[in-house]
Amino acid sequence: MFALAMRSIRQRPGRFAATLFSSFLGALIIMTFNSMHDTAAGAGVDDRSAETLTVAASVVGGYGSLLVFFAVASTLTVAVRQRSEEIELLRTTGATPAQIKRMIVGEAVAVALLGAALAVVPAMFGGQLLLDVFQDSGQVAGSVEHSFGAIALATGFDITLLASVGAAFLAVRRAGRAAGRRPGRGRTFFAYAALVAGALSVSATFLLDSDAEIMMAPPAYGAILLSVGCALFSTRILPGVLSVLEGPITALAGAGGYLTVRNMRQRAAQLSNVLMPLILFTGMAVATLYMQGVENDTVKASGLVKAADAKTLETLNYAVVGIIVAFCCIMLINTLYAATSYRVREFGQQRLAGATPRQVLAMVGAESAVLTVTGVALGSLTGFAGIVAFTTVRTDQVLPGQGLGIWLAVAGIAATVTIGTSMATAWRQLRTPAVEAVALAA
Amino acid sequence: MFGSKRDKTGASGRGTDEALRLVKVSKSYGEGESAVRALDGVSLSLGRGTFTAVMGPSGSGKTTLLQCAAGLERPDSGIVMVAGEEMGKGSEAELTKFRRRRIGFVFQQYNLLPTLTVAQNTVLPLKLAGRRIDKAKARSVLEQVGLAGRLKHRPDELSGGQRQRVAIARALVTEPAVVFADEPTGALDIRSARDVLHLLQEAVRVHGRTVVMVTHDPVAASYADSVVFLADGRIAGHMERPTVDAVAERLAHLGDDINGSDYAAQLGV
Ligand SMILES: Nc1ncnc2c1ncn2[C@@H]1O[C@H](COP(=O)(O)OP(=O)(O)OP(=O)(O)O)[C@@H](O)[C@H]1O
Ligand SMILES: [Mg+2]
Repeated sequence: MFALAMRSIRQRPGRFAATLFSSFLGALIIMTFNSMHDTAAGAGVDDRSAETLTVAASVVGGYGSLLVFFAVASTLTVAVRQRSEEIELLRTTGATPAQIKRMIVGEAVAVALLGAALAVVPAMFGGQLLLDVFQDSGQVAGSVEHSFGAIALATGFDITLLASVGAAFLAVRRAGRAAGRRPGRGRTFFAYAALVAGALSVSATFLLDSDAEIMMAPPAYGAILLSVGCALFSTRILPGVLSVLEGPITALAGAGGYLTVRNMRQRAAQLSNVLMPLILFTGMAVATLYMQGVENDTVKASGLVKAADAKTLETLNYAVVGIIVAFCCIMLINTLYAATSYRVREFGQQRLAGATPRQVLAMVGAESAVLTVTGVALGSLTGFAGIVAFTTVRTDQVLPGQGLGIWLAVAGIAATVTIGTSMATAWRQLRTPAVEAVALAA
Repeated sequence: MFGSKRDKTGASGRGTDEALRLVKVSKSYGEGESAVRALDGVSLSLGRGTFTAVMGPSGSGKTTLLQCAAGLERPDSGIVMVAGEEMGKGSEAELTKFRRRRIGFVFQQYNLLPTLTVAQNTVLPLKLAGRRIDKAKARSVLEQVGLAGRLKHRPDELSGGQRQRVAIARALVTEPAVVFADEPTGALDIRSARDVLHLLQEAVRVHGRTVVMVTHDPVAASYADSVVFLADGRIAGHMERPTVDAVAERLAHLGDDINGSDYAAQLGV
């Protein structure tokens, strides 16, 4: 079965591009940050440098890893779910469920290993760059040498593999139950578990001293877990959103909008996989950027650090947070691209039924708009939970004094990326003649 | 040309009883050495209210012929006229708009939208065209195909035969000038196939539609009023009031004949 898996990868490399890319990028981020652990453990590193490196690795590397886990998992889920027809075909040609599971999981293992292996060398450079940033800001002594060792490698491979295999396992189980459209009990359980763990993590912020180094970790973990819970629950939230937005959608997007509403009602489960990276992006961007803003203001106000140092510190922190936010954004694009490019056949069928390319695009646009509204609302909510906890403990206020600017920017980027990627991908799909598009193997 | 006797009102077409006319339609796939000439200057004319079967060996260009005639493929050269109006060579959107009112298509693989119910699939072409949805008419079309009891089902809850009947209802609902069907019974058992063929026949006899159907099955062809034979991308013969045996006989000899146009000339069509 592993041989079969390898053959199917070799024959259709394009199909695995999205999962390979997300494993690669995920492993790259994890290895880059976790190589700071290796670096801190090196010989002759002074205490202050070691502490800065360890905090960066455990806080950002920690929630970064959790983020990578869910981002990789969601891309893989999208990819496997698109293959339900192929899985059905294999079943009817006599493959047992166990064989199918081994094939899909085998593919996931192969792709994750390849992605992580490809990430090793770039992560060495990435770690070096990150260390340079720390050294430039004076947080780490210039004499410290970058080291890329066991911790970076182990975490990079383990987390990428775990995310891929876990997601493949769950997705193939779900694809196997093809006919049942009801969300499984497993999904509901995971959703509750993520929400409870997220709430606990956010609450844990209140147990910390207001100036603890790791202050940002619990609310960030909390925001991620809450985002995941919301994404899993979105199968139930989307129908509600749809019934509210149905009027405006059909008014604005016409017959395309009509298709959007029907489609989204039926495909809630698939859409929740696309919502996952969108909610994560919004939640993480909002949470980390606002918390960093609050942190900067608090440091400045405390007067403990010289103004110039406060400035470098600020730049450093924004750089680190920026990497994570950029990662979320790329993952979002990747997942949307994968999810839309698999729909070439559906678009073909719509065109054969008399839809003009413009109507197909209107449908995709309206669908992305609904996703954006839902994803940004839920993501803002989860991010907000983290922000409130952080601000309450770190300052004597409940809400940050940063204003709405950051939120507007994040929402704008989320909308642009979601609608832009989906429509651009759909537009490319429309260049395939409709009769060819429906004949393409799903 | 087959339709010459019906073609009294001339090429202007409007108000004629000519539903479809192809003039020297050619289509090649691929380029250079490996190019395949799927259609080689095919001309034909079909009157309104006729039921025509298109037959020929695999790879003879039947699907290509149907798709060019239906505006799903663009011919390299030649003219396609539907109900007296020439099909443009414009953008996909223009072609789509041309097809909406004039053409219905039934595919072997149904091509229903999985997320829509039977009723929604049926009226989709009207929705997309921005036409008023006449609920009563949609219902009567679905009654006609025997699916009035399954309006709320989704395609994956139907048998192949039922899906194909939905597809036929969808093709008929816009009251098109021509309904094309590419091996509509290819994936069906004998009973379901017979239902589908009866439906197409009824659409012609009772509702005055024009149907062009590709098939490999002499039994299916015998439901039609006439058969057009295709070989190597050319018209290779023509038969009125086909019977199962006559069609099977002709098909058997079609393989012997290499030069299709000569065959057509011999037959005087
Ligand atoms: N998209 C395509 N690209 C390249 N060649 C094509 C394409 N479609 C059809 N052909 C070629 O054109 C010729 C006619 O094909 P067509 O599908 O029209 O045959 P057909 O009569 O419908 O055959 P069948 O009975 O097997 O369905 C064949 O030689 C086929 O290989
Ligand atoms: Mg064919």
